[in-house]
Amino acid sequence: MNKWFRSGSPWIWLSAGGVSISLISVLGLLWLIASRGLSYFWPSELYQFDLTDQHGAKSVVIGEIYDREQIPVSQLAHLNLALDPEQEILERLLIKTGNRELVSLDFRWLLSHNIQKTQTPNDLVVIERRTNGNFYGFIESVVVDGKEVDESKLSELLARVDNFQDQIDDLQKSDIGAINYQLERLRLKTRKYQLENKLTAELQAQIDSEIATLNQDYALLEQELMGYREQISRDHIVMRAMDGQLVTINFEYILKVTFNNQLSVIEKTALFFSHIGSFLIDDPREANTEGGVFPAIFGTVLMVLLMTVIVSPFGVIAAIYLHEYAGKNAFTKLLRIAVINLAGVPSIVYGVFGLGFFVYMVGGSLDQLFYSENLPSPTFGTPGVLWSALTLAILTLPVVIVSTEEGLSRIPSEMRHGSLALGATKAETLWRIILPIASPAIMTGIILAIARAAGEVAPLMLVGVVKMAPNLPLDGNFPFLHLDRKFMHLGFHIYDVGFQSPNVEAARPLVFATALLLVSIIVALNMTAVSIRNKLRERYKMLEH
Amino acid sequence: MISISPKALAPGSDTSFKKKLDLTNLTPDQVALDINKLNLFYGKKQALNNITMSIPKGQVTAFIGPSGCGKSTLLRSINRMNDLVDDCHITGEINLHGNNIYDKHVDVAELRRKVGMVFQRPNPFPKTIYENVVYGLRIMGENNRRKLDEAAEQSLRSAALWNEVKDRLHESALGLSGGQQQRLVIARAIAIQPEVLLLDEPTSALDPISTLTIEELINDLKKQFTVVIVTHNMQQAARVSDQTAFMYMGDLIEYSDTNTLFTTPLKKKTEDYITGRYG
Repeated sequence: MNKWFRSGSPWIWLSAGGVSISLISVLGLLWLIASRGLSYFWPSELYQFDLTDQHGAKSVVIGEIYDREQIPVSQLAHLNLALDPEQEILERLLIKTGNRELVSLDFRWLLSHNIQKTQTPNDLVVIERRTNGNFYGFIESVVVDGKEVDESKLSELLARVDNFQDQIDDLQKSDIGAINYQLERLRLKTRKYQLENKLTAELQAQIDSEIATLNQDYALLEQELMGYREQISRDHIVMRAMDGQLVTINFEYILKVTFNNQLSVIEKTALFFSHIGSFLIDDPREANTEGGVFPAIFGTVLMVLLMTVIVSPFGVIAAIYLHEYAGKNAFTKLLRIAVINLAGVPSIVYGVFGLGFFVYMVGGSLDQLFYSENLPSPTFGTPGVLWSALTLAILTLPVVIVSTEEGLSRIPSEMRHGSLALGATKAETLWRIILPIASPAIMTGIILAIARAAGEVAPLMLVGVVKMAPNLPLDGNFPFLHLDRKFMHLGFHIYDVGFQSPNVEAARPLVFATALLLVSIIVALNMTAVSIRNKLRERYKMLEH
Repeated sequence: MISISPKALAPGSDTSFKKKLDLTNLTPDQVALDINKLNLFYGKKQALNNITMSIPKGQVTAFIGPSGCGKSTLLRSINRMNDLVDDCHITGEINLHGNNIYDKHVDVAELRRKVGMVFQRPNPFPKTIYENVVYGLRIMGENNRRKLDEAAEQSLRSAALWNEVKDRLHESALGLSGGQQQRLVIARAIAIQPEVLLLDEPTSALDPISTLTIEELINDLKKQFTVVIVTHNMQQAARVSDQTAFMYMGDLIEYSDTNTLFTTPLKKKTEDYITGRYG
C-alpha cells in the first residue's frame, strides 16, 4: 500500500478524476440545455384525454404532454380522491392546452388516475398563431370569402396570406418606417433652426412642403396597407375546441396549421428544422414568449463585435506601452497590479460606472453639444448599444492587456536585436517584427475578451439592453448604424423570458433553447477567433530554440 | 612550450603571405575603427578596462579570450547594442571615420546600418527568405521591386546561399537548417552594405560542416567588408583572422597579427591561454 502511494498512481488517479468530473459537468450542462432546448422545436404528438373526475363528471382535454411528475398521495389529501389505500404515489401530467381565448391558463395538470382513455386522433390539429398562442382542436370548416371550401385548400390559402403578410411587413418596416424617420428628422431640423433663431418664413415653407409630400406618400402607403389588410382578413377557419365550442380564427392570425399526428418522422424532422429556422430569423411575439429571437441574436453579435473593435487597439497599445516603453520601476509595477485587479471588479460595478460616466456624463454632454434640438428627449444621454460596447470594452480591457503583454515577453530578445542591428528603430522593430509575432497572443486576449463579454448581462441591464427593441441598431436609414439605439441581448432575453414573463411555464423550453443558442453563438465567435489565431501561429511560428 | 602554428591548423590558407600591418601605427585610411580608452560598466561592475586599439580596414580581426573576458561586450559596443542593457554606461570613444559613435547627436539606427551584426544563434525573422534579406532595405525605405530583387540575389550569393534557396525565396526562412539560417542572417546583414560586419561567435551553435562553410564565407567577406569576429575557438581565430586580440578579465592583453600572436605571444597570459592552460 505504501509502495502504491509512493509510485505516484494515487495522484494520477486523483488528477484524472478531477478532469473527468469537470468534463462530465460540462458535457452534462450542454446535454441538458441541448435536450431541453431542442425538444421545444420537435413537433410532439397531440393527445385527446377522456377524463372522469372523482365526482364522476366526464370531460375531454386536448393538448401536448409537457411534463410528467410523480407525487406522493399525501399531498393530494385535500382532494378527497377515492384511491386504493395502499397506493402512495400518483402520476400527474402537465398538458399544454393552448386556446387562450377560452381558458385563461394554457397549461393544466391531469392526474393519470382520472384518465379513462388516451387517444391520438389523426385529424387533431395545432394552429400556431400570431397572437393568443397555439390553438388545439379539430377543423370544422374552412371559409373562403363567405363560402365553405375543402380542407385541402388550406396550404394554398395559408401561402396566400403569408405572401400578403410579408408585403405588409415590408411596407411597414422599410417604406413607412423610412417616412416616419424622415418626418422626425424634419421636425428636429425645424427645432434646430428655432433654437438657433434662423428659422425664416422661407425655410419654414420649404420644410412644410417637404412634410406635405411625405404625408402624401404616407397616405398612399397607408391605403396600400389597408388593401392588404382587407385581403388577408377575407378568409377564416372554424375550429372545434376540446369542449365542443366552435371558434372562428381569421387567417390573418394563423402562422401554421399542422396535423402533428399524421406526420411521418421525416416530415417531423423537416418541421423541426423549419421551427429552428424561424426561431433564428423571426421577431419575438407575445411578450417574447413566442416567435423567434433574431433581434437578440443581432444585438448580441453587433455589441460583441463593436466591443472587440474598441477593446483590441486600446488593449494592445496599453500593453505595448507597459512592456516596451514604461520604465521598469515601482510605478509600472503598480500600474500592472492595478490592471490585473481591474479584471476582478464585479461586472455590475462596471455597469454602474458605464451608466454614470458614459451615459450621463459623456452622452449627456454629447446631447448638449450636438443634439440639443432633440432635448429634453435624449439621443446619446440614454443607455444604448455604443455605451454597452464601451462598458464591456473596459470590462475586458485587462484580459487583452495581460495576454498581449505575456505574448510580448515571450518573444526572444534575438528577434528585437536582429532587427535593431539592421538599423531599424524601436518603433519600426515593434511594427514590423514584434507585433506580427505577438499577434497570436493578442488574438488569445481577444478570444478571452469575447468569451467574457458575450456572456455578460448584468452591466448591460444598466447601459443599453431592453426587453423589446422596436428597431435594430442597423437599418436602411442614414447613417445606417444607429449607435444610440437600445438593443436586445440573448443573455437578457433568457432572464426576461424565464423569470419576467406572464407565462413562465410556456416560456421554459424557450429559456433552454435561447441558452443553447447563446452558447452556440459564443462558441462560434470563439472558434472564428481561434482559427484566425491558429493561422497566425502557423505563420509566425517561433524558432524552437 | 607548445605553440600552435596557424599553418598546421588551416592548411588551405597560408597566412604567412598576409601583409603585416603595424597595428600601433596605422595610417588613417587603413583604419576602420579606432577604439580609444574605452571603459564600460554594468551598474557598478566594470566590464571593459581602458581598451585602446585600432581595427584595420578590409581585414578580419578576431577577439579571443575565456568566457566573461569582455570580448562580446567589446563587440557590442561597436554598434551600440549595449545601449539596450539598462544600467550600462560607457566612457571613452570609438571612432568611425574620425567621428565618435558615442557622441550625443549620433543616430544609432544610422550607425547600425554602417556596422552590421550577426549573433551567436541564427535569428531569422518569421518571414520568407526574401523578406528576411530585404528587411534592412525596406527599413531604409527602399520599395523598388527590381532593386530589392537585385540586392537579395547579390547578398545571398555573397553569403554563399543563393544556389540552395533560389527556388524557395518566398518560403518561410524558418524551414532552413541552422547553418543556412546563419548564412541567411549574414546575407541580411550585408544586404544593406555595411562598412563593418560584427560576428558574435557565429558558429558556436552550428555543426562542423556548417562551421566550415561560414569560415570560408568569412574569408570572402573581407574583400568587401571589415570583419570583426568574436570566437571561443582558437583554431577558428587562427584559421580566419588576420589580426587577433586576446582579452582577459576586461583587459586587452595582447593584440597583434594572428601569426605572431599564435606563434610568439609576448605575454605570459596569452601563451597560457593559447596553450590551453585555462579558458
